[in-house]
Amino acid sequence: MTRIAGLPVSPGVAWGPAALLLQRHPVMRYGIAEANVARELGRLDEARALSADQLRAIHAQVSQRAGADLANLFEAQLLMLEDNLLVPRARHIVQAERVNAEWALDRAFDEFCAVFADVGDAYLRERRGDVADVVGRLRRNLRPAGAGGMRMLADLASPAVLVADELAPSLAAQLDPALILGLAFETGSRTHHSAILARSLGIPAVAGALAVARQIKPGALVLVDGDAGEVVIDPPPDVIELARARRGRRAPAAAGRVPGPVTTADGTAVRFQANIERLEEIDAARAAGAEGIGLFRSEFLLGGRAIDAFDEEAQYRVYRDVVERMAPHPVTIRTFDLDELQASGRADGEADDDGRVRGSSLSHGPLGLRAIRLSLGHRDAFGAQLRALARARRHGAVRVLLPFVSSVGELREAKAALRAATCETAEAGRDAGAVPMGIMIEVPSAALTVDLLAADADFFSIGTNDLIQYCLAVDRADGRVAGLFDPLHPAILRVVRHVIRLARPRARPVALCGEMAADPGALVLLLGLGVTDFSMNPAAIPEARELVRQVSMAAARRAAARAVGLPTSGDIAALLASRFPALASWPAGRDGRPHMEG
Amino acid sequence: MIERTVTVRNALGLHARAAARFVHAAGVFQCRVTVARHDRGDRHVDGKSILGLLLLAAARGAAIRITADGADEAEALGALCRLVETGFGEEA
Repeated sequence: MTRIAGLPVSPGVAWGPAALLLQRHPVMRYGIAEANVARELGRLDEARALSADQLRAIHAQVSQRAGADLANLFEAQLLMLEDNLLVPRARHIVQAERVNAEWALDRAFDEFCAVFADVGDAYLRERRGDVADVVGRLRRNLRPAGAGGMRMLADLASPAVLVADELAPSLAAQLDPALILGLAFETGSRTHHSAILARSLGIPAVAGALAVARQIKPGALVLVDGDAGEVVIDPPPDVIELARARRGRRAPAAAGRVPGPVTTADGTAVRFQANIERLEEIDAARAAGAEGIGLFRSEFLLGGRAIDAFDEEAQYRVYRDVVERMAPHPVTIRTFDLDELQASGRADGEADDDGRVRGSSLSHGPLGLRAIRLSLGHRDAFGAQLRALARARRHGAVRVLLPFVSSVGELREAKAALRAATCETAEAGRDAGAVPMGIMIEVPSAALTVDLLAADADFFSIGTNDLIQYCLAVDRADGRVAGLFDPLHPAILRVVRHVIRLARPRARPVALCGEMAADPGALVLLLGLGVTDFSMNPAAIPEARELVRQVSMAAARRAAARAVGLPTSGDIAALLASRFPALASWPAGRDGRPHMEG
Repeated sequence: MIERTVTVRNALGLHARAAARFVHAAGVFQCRVTVARHDRGDRHVDGKSILGLLLLAAARGAAIRITADGADEAEALGALCRLVETGFGEEA
């Protein structure tokens, strides 16, 4: 048994055989259905034939240029290609163990290496490199165009725990909770989009589990503890029994809470709306007591396809459904928050054989051409989205939310586009009214100029995930610094206070839609700073509502006023612990620490 | 079945290209060819498998035992032993 610590990003516990997805080194290892054995054998044979052609061509070329002696090396490689210990061995593994071709090939190579490992002679030991060269060629030739992770997920024969070095949100969005029991990945943090998706799908997940994908043998039993933030490889029966007992207690705990408006102990009304990505989450949102959708992440409609893959009509139908199914509550739809690579539809990074995506000039990353910047550059796609939203307005209360706005100019440009879209979709005698347009406050420049933005923005929504990342200069996808991602950093509390203070006299509502509010201590401080409108993952709403009922606004205000003057997040946590002792035993503890149940 | 022990003489030992020559030479004959390190006789590898030969990790000076079994075993053994003892045609 091996235990690997990580960040608990999606609650629950699950165990099952591991399915491995290594994207950085494109290797996928998973069990296949019997019906696919012949196909995998065929892929091996095709890869061998293709590799042989390539090696013969190289051999001819090298003989001409560098002479027969060096060329013989490739003759040796051709012999390796035909050797019984390699491809025939891999074929045997595919048939006997029903695993995919890549995995079988790796296994055959591993077996060779295991014997070779204790070779004393350094020169001879290096000959392993020649074999690795051949295996690498076979592996490349095995890769069918445009397949990758999705094929693996489509191929899974039975439920498994997905273990990945990194997990693209577009891939995570398409996970089937019936097949994917749990998730463990090496990168990411609690606010990584894939973590958010895992929570919305109810799949227990652990992020930032260093080197987990390299330590796990595919098919090995693995347990993911999304409460404690731990991955257990080869858990013994007693560990599984404990997990099973815990899961049994969890199920009824979330049920039985009454929806409806909620107020603090001293009578301040607080609204909780839901962050969702997909229509299917609406039932969960309503059941959790959400009074509207505060953030609909529309980019997930694309499911990893290009920015123009989902046309106006298709979008309109989704937005209309969301609005109608949430009625009478309002719905806030955020326009596509994509980076350039995602907008190209190739963000899975697996579309090409030789990693061209990685080497491409398309910007990929938090500070590049993304979100509103990208939409303003893709006017056709942006216009289609705005027209779809303007049409959805006829069916109920819908608002447009712009991601990643950093200046008044961007907002004005988007507003002009919305006006145009509204005119284009206007129908005689059916004036549904203007669609309110607001912006995310997630870039420090926007937070500092809320008073200037208020002239053009109808509302604000603080996106704490990105705001914290940019205020603290922490790349939350980098596991080595993810620990510095600190929602209780004094700077964050001050920024939130600043935004509220600038927006209030201008009568612009401010909501907060980050994961931060799912942390009970942070929720109390945010209340105290004057935030009374929250949007969060549906699963987090019931407990947040319960907490609000028990807290007095007056006490929260006093605590917040004191907290903004404290030097460290540790001091702030201590303050919370002394003023609100009940928080210590509150279910989702700080950093999502596990709580005592049952 | 006949066998003989010979010493690897070339500087680089039974490396990839040398092993390739051995496999090519062995492939000409019908008989079964196996090879083992003289000092570690437990591991016999297929003399027609380049990966098998690499696994022997036979450096310069290593003694290897070649076994041939089949109709043309005498010619095969002679040819293969010659190949090893002449250093696979490599310099030094």
